[in-house]
Amino acid sequence: MILKTKGSPYDINTPIIGRVTRIPENIEYEIFISETIFSKTWYKFKAVLSTVKIISSLEIPIIHSIEKLDHLDEGDIVIINTDGIINTIYRKNSDHNFLLFTERCNSNCLMCSQPPKDRDDTDYFFSQYSQAIPLIPKDCPEIGITGGEPTLLGNRFLKLIKQLKEELPETELHCLTNGRSFAWENVAQKVGEIDHKRLMLAVPLYADVYHIHDYIVQAKDAFNQTIQGIYNLAKYGQRIEIRIVLHKQTIPRLAKLAKFIYKNLPFVEHIAFMGLEHEGYTSFNIDKLWIDPVEYQQELTEAVSYLSDFGMNVSIYNAQLCTLPENLWKYSRKSISDWKNIYFDECNKCDLLDQCGGMFASGIKKHSDFIKAIYFS
Amino acid sequence: MKNIVTLINNELHFSLNEQLYDEDVVFKCFYWYGTDYNVEIDKKDNVFFVKISSKSETKIDHDHLLIKIKQDLIDFKLRDIVTKETKNIRELLTAKAFAHFETDENPVTEISDPIGFDPTNF
Amino acid sequence: MISVIQKKNRKFKEINYYQNHDVSNYFLLPFRFQKINSKTEILVNEVGDFLLVPVGTAEQIILKKLDKIKDEDLYLDLISNFFISEEVIPPLLNILEARYRTKKSFLDHFTALHIFVISLRCEHTCHYCQVSRVTENKDEFDMSLYHIDEGIKIMMHSPNPHITMEFQGGEALLAFNNIKYAVLKAKEEALLYEKHMTFVICTNLAPLTDDMLPFIKEHNIMISSSLDGPAFIHNQNRHRPQRNSYEVTIEGLNKCRAILGEDNISALLTTTNLSLDYPTEIVEEYVKQGFSNIFLRPISPYGFATYNEKKNKYQTEKFLTFYKSAFEKIIDYNKKGYYIREDYATVILKKILTSFPVGYVDLQSPAGMINNVIVFNYDGKIYASDEARMLAEMNDFTFQLGILGQSTYNEIFYGKKAMEIAENWTNESLAGCSECAFQSYCGADPVLNHATQGNMYGYRPTNVFCQKNMEIIRYLFDLMEDKSIEKIFRSWITGHSE
Repeated sequence: MILKTKGSPYDINTPIIGRVTRIPENIEYEIFISETIFSKTWYKFKAVLSTVKIISSLEIPIIHSIEKLDHLDEGDIVIINTDGIINTIYRKNSDHNFLLFTERCNSNCLMCSQPPKDRDDTDYFFSQYSQAIPLIPKDCPEIGITGGEPTLLGNRFLKLIKQLKEELPETELHCLTNGRSFAWENVAQKVGEIDHKRLMLAVPLYADVYHIHDYIVQAKDAFNQTIQGIYNLAKYGQRIEIRIVLHKQTIPRLAKLAKFIYKNLPFVEHIAFMGLEHEGYTSFNIDKLWIDPVEYQQELTEAVSYLSDFGMNVSIYNAQLCTLPENLWKYSRKSISDWKNIYFDECNKCDLLDQCGGMFASGIKKHSDFIKAIYFS
Repeated sequence: MKNIVTLINNELHFSLNEQLYDEDVVFKCFYWYGTDYNVEIDKKDNVFFVKISSKSETKIDHDHLLIKIKQDLIDFKLRDIVTKETKNIRELLTAKAFAHFETDENPVTEISDPIGFDPTNF
Repeated sequence: MISVIQKKNRKFKEINYYQNHDVSNYFLLPFRFQKINSKTEILVNEVGDFLLVPVGTAEQIILKKLDKIKDEDLYLDLISNFFISEEVIPPLLNILEARYRTKKSFLDHFTALHIFVISLRCEHTCHYCQVSRVTENKDEFDMSLYHIDEGIKIMMHSPNPHITMEFQGGEALLAFNNIKYAVLKAKEEALLYEKHMTFVICTNLAPLTDDMLPFIKEHNIMISSSLDGPAFIHNQNRHRPQRNSYEVTIEGLNKCRAILGEDNISALLTTTNLSLDYPTEIVEEYVKQGFSNIFLRPISPYGFATYNEKKNKYQTEKFLTFYKSAFEKIIDYNKKGYYIREDYATVILKKILTSFPVGYVDLQSPAGMINNVIVFNYDGKIYASDEARMLAEMNDFTFQLGILGQSTYNEIFYGKKAMEIAENWTNESLAGCSECAFQSYCGADPVLNHATQGNMYGYRPTNVFCQKNMEIIRYLFDLMEDKSIEKIFRSWITGHSE
């Protein structure tokens, strides 16, 4: 799946955000995709994208000579940048849309799939999303918010959440955050005051003791801040999910972590156990992280059934059914974003293919040694 | 435990040094012996004199009873250590748990953002 | 458009970097310990979290002999479960505070259960019942409309938004017209005072007639009945001229289930000396009648309680033997796939295994009397608990708090008598309880202490409440070492099992 493409810019002085269309009559859209040469209808739009080469200025913002535009559907929202790069912000025909609020982060997790960048992109992204949010279809079922650490946008984080609530009141919002900012009660209070019932904050928690969590997220005091943050969020009625990535550092105390969660954070709405994704830092730290999912079946079973026995809502993400014991299958969700999701040849023989979450595309690099088709007959 | 005297008429006498066993420990420990025994405790010059006699007709097994007393004294001494060492924190805990006011305590630790994010500016 | 502000080294650091190295030693947090069998002892912290460890571990911890490296797993368990801290004031102390507050939050709303002894009349002559009268004299033994009105006034005064109004007897259904009056009146008042009402009628079901059911159904009244076991036990316990109490009860149960629905009818077991010999048969009867819960209650010491230590101890031991045999049978059913829970254990297990408040009248600290329950007797006298009214029937008025129509709310709930009881109702401050490992799972019962030992404070070494609860709680932990039983216990708490 392509989310980014490039062409040659003309007359673009500032990034332009809009929905794309190939139908000249669709003048309520902002950006026109043209496969042909110039036509007058172009002037009805804010900008034009074209695969054709255009050799002189037409006094309308244009990106031309773009190699491919097949990935863009009617109504997709893009940002076209002054350097000719076109990023897709929102795909109309996907259930896996997410808004990357920033690439900055105050943690530096060993297995980060999207390593942080130490530059201040918050103005850029705030401006991008405050323009894009009103363009998102009102019937959008769910949007993810991700980063980096989204709360680093500060007050602009609150503004965007408010804007999402106003523009898309029916859309489920799933925001990934390390939760540390909420240790400062004013931050939790402000989010609580927005009172958006469809906002779920998904906070990672990797151990029941501080130093293991701090090591995994590579930040001192992170554990205490995250726990305090979760408490503050709960105090202000915010919905919370806990996320646990399964790897060599989290497995040994996984059952104890489950107990810690039930005893100390029984108010969380959902707990997700997540298989490792081979993106970003993971490859670099693979020796510290890799454990074959088949080898942690026992620990995972104990943690999942403990929480589930007590009526907690538990899911397993990013797992292949052939690597899970059968009694955990019912917790497994097809969680991998469509554009990252693959299956192996072996999988095509499997009777459970339809129910299986499959594999990250990056799983090609490293995956369980026990991927094997399951036959019912 | 010193001066142990075992009497055939179902009694056991011994003394305990206060330097080893705090008064709290001695009383808390022998409180529980009231289930089956009558217990008398006297104190003179930092020494407790303990007299134990059976409430019932059944004969005291002195050896068994002595082992039990020694173990119980250790346990109650340990309990006493915890009670005293954690007195302040327990009081703080219950006082704060039932306090009707909220204390605005922000973390003293670092949010550690390389670009300088400050959560207090929210 | 994007400004590069600062470059920072994001080189990964090893795990040691994140460990607290300043600590040469650790600090204890409040916890209690107790041996539960020859190999295992239990550590319980201030909010009821526990660890089962080998005997001798508490000593290691308390004498600071623990080695952070050598005993790493235990050391981390102790940090994670708030038994020790590396800092004088643990960084997550406010989480512990919140949990402590939550555990005690059953106190927040004050009195919920208001028992109205609507009539003392009964058509049964159960030998263990010290209270009821077989008589037609309604004037003397039914609660008057005036007292009902006054009781409702007091009830509406409770700060609790959720109120339970429970009708007891004698046999409550003999005064069904008064129940109707009381329910309608309470509902009317509840609208005004914005109370959410639950109604319960305690009945042996014998006087139940078909024309009562529409009213009971219309007002969502729960029926709490009695089933003492199979016919030969039930009929022996519950004398009726026709010797058919069992048959009448089963007929009534089935009728209520059909018309009111399964969830609106429950049965309570009264344990008698006869029952003690038939634990298995009693459990089997409950399963036969399709119940998914059974409440193995100890023999009430009221009525024939004495200050005789030996006799009390003997009775307790006999009950515990009965309890365990019945319990094993219950576990057996669960293992075979028939879900049935024991209610008393479930109360304790909720306290042991969850962080939620458990306000169960007979097993909480501060005690349930006044805080959670108040009793209005048929004659207008007000008592601190149901047991307190039993004592009064034997001419002991120690726990009488006032008289309906005469005493004010403050006199009843915050008066001198209430204050005197309050001195003795927190196990945190009772001798024998203050350092007991099971403190947070147990409670205080000044009425029982008074009835069996002559004073509200009680003397733990010979106390029946203490003996019973210490052993039941120990027994539950002992059983929990079997992981399959622990899983059954979880299903009792949530009410569902895989």
